[in-house]
Amino acid sequence: MTVAAPYWNPKTECMPREQLRALQLAKLRAVTEWAQARSPFYRRSFAAARFSADQLRTLDDIQRIPFLTREQWMHSQDERPPYGELPVAGREVAIRLHTTSGTSGSTPLRALDSRKDWAWAAEMWAYALWGIGVRATDIGYVAFGYGSFIGFWGLHYGLEKVGALTIPGGAQTTAARVRQIVDFGATVVATTPTYAMRMAQEAEALGIDLPGSAVSRLVLSGEPAGSIVETKTLIERQWGAKAFDTAGMTEVSTIFMFEPENQPGGCHIIEDHFIEEVIDPQTGDRLGYGERGERVCTSFGRSMIPLLRYRTADLVVRQPAAAAGNGRTWDLYEGGIVGRADDMKLVRGTNVYPGAIEAILRTHDGIEEFQIRIERRGARDEVVLQVEPHPRFDDAAWTALAEALVVELAEAHEGLLFILERAATGALPRFELKAKRLSDLRPAGAHTTVRA
Amino acid sequence: MSSTPSAEGPAVTRDLLDNPLTGEERKLLDAYRLLRELAREAPTPCVAANVRAALAPIAVAVTDLGLSFEHLLDDGC
Repeated sequence: MTVAAPYWNPKTECMPREQLRALQLAKLRAVTEWAQARSPFYRRSFAAARFSADQLRTLDDIQRIPFLTREQWMHSQDERPPYGELPVAGREVAIRLHTTSGTSGSTPLRALDSRKDWAWAAEMWAYALWGIGVRATDIGYVAFGYGSFIGFWGLHYGLEKVGALTIPGGAQTTAARVRQIVDFGATVVATTPTYAMRMAQEAEALGIDLPGSAVSRLVLSGEPAGSIVETKTLIERQWGAKAFDTAGMTEVSTIFMFEPENQPGGCHIIEDHFIEEVIDPQTGDRLGYGERGERVCTSFGRSMIPLLRYRTADLVVRQPAAAAGNGRTWDLYEGGIVGRADDMKLVRGTNVYPGAIEAILRTHDGIEEFQIRIERRGARDEVVLQVEPHPRFDDAAWTALAEALVVELAEAHEGLLFILERAATGALPRFELKAKRLSDLRPAGAHTTVRA
Repeated sequence: MSSTPSAEGPAVTRDLLDNPLTGEERKLLDAYRLLRELAREAPTPCVAANVRAALAPIAVAVTDLGLSFEHLLDDGC
């Protein structure tokens, strides 16, 4: 079946790129006119930039549209609570409200969606699930708490849409979820990378053989996964299953990219529903293939909240479609989301990036959890790495691990020495959704956050 | 073609890229236009709710195929 029908929507997934660009332009004109006519926010924003929807004559004219930032969205919410002036219709038209998880700011964004918006959100997941190889014969387990965070809600509906038997994990203990996955014969499990590892630890403690279970595919989202090969490899070993990267965001309401079944080392952008640009985060200039920069997202799917040129702070490297070698004409993000512009820290002149640290840690067996703490000690900034090893680690094994990590971390960070601390078993926090492993405890103004 | 003119105007015969519609695409657009009309006629609640629930994924399908691109908030979707 996979060979016979590899594409959810062959018409656009394999469309010649000049036609794809023409289709994007037609949709861009429509959504920009819609935003200009309906949204007070966009009317002001366009006027300030001396832009009007009728100026869109070619796809490159998208660069005339002003950027939308998270700060603007939040400011609009604060000025006109609770939803701000981005929505083009009142809450009485909406059927769903979701919020961001709050990992990048104290105030969550609030996003309203219509019935059609949610049908579209499920459709984007259907593109991904089908491309990953999920079919009606599959049994999908959603290891997710179903809260106001938008998370895997869309995946749930996407699983139903492709006809899979869908099992909502809901609010249960990790042990109960692991048992259900095995007892119900789940073939597909959807989770964050962090929680995939957490469930594997729990299975080991319960004496459950996950690699011997029916699970053949893991759908990962919510955190970098494809970009951290070592983490992905570890998860695949723990589960005895292939792990596929996806990424979305509340601002979009669903996912915008997925790693296809042939796993070409990157994720396809769903280009008939999104225009994705990569820019230099400092200058705003557009970057080309192979250049690392900030992704800017324009979405055609939302009616309630038009999303035009949203600066995501995600760092990506775009590659042409041919690199995938699977017949799709959609471009790729090599390695998925390779980092967050706002996650990068400057410590004594050296860039410290959590993903790079995690990549080193995951090459070592027996690390259960970790936390990164940046703090001021006297006149110096220090990076403290708390590592929780597997309970089987004795003192000698821990010492050997710590010594190896110090050397490897220094080599990867221009000689910067990390302070290693051993955390007791179960002492570090576990996460179901997005993990928060970095704390910058330095006094305000005493350090610089580098955007890229 | 099988498309029937409706209150929305003459039947659409070409997609967003100005290609002629296939037979399957014409039928899909017919269903879409009919559901839109039904949704606007404000029938009984059970009909209205279910027509809107049916219209939403059909709207996604016509967008997927590049046949039409509309926002539908005014139709309650």
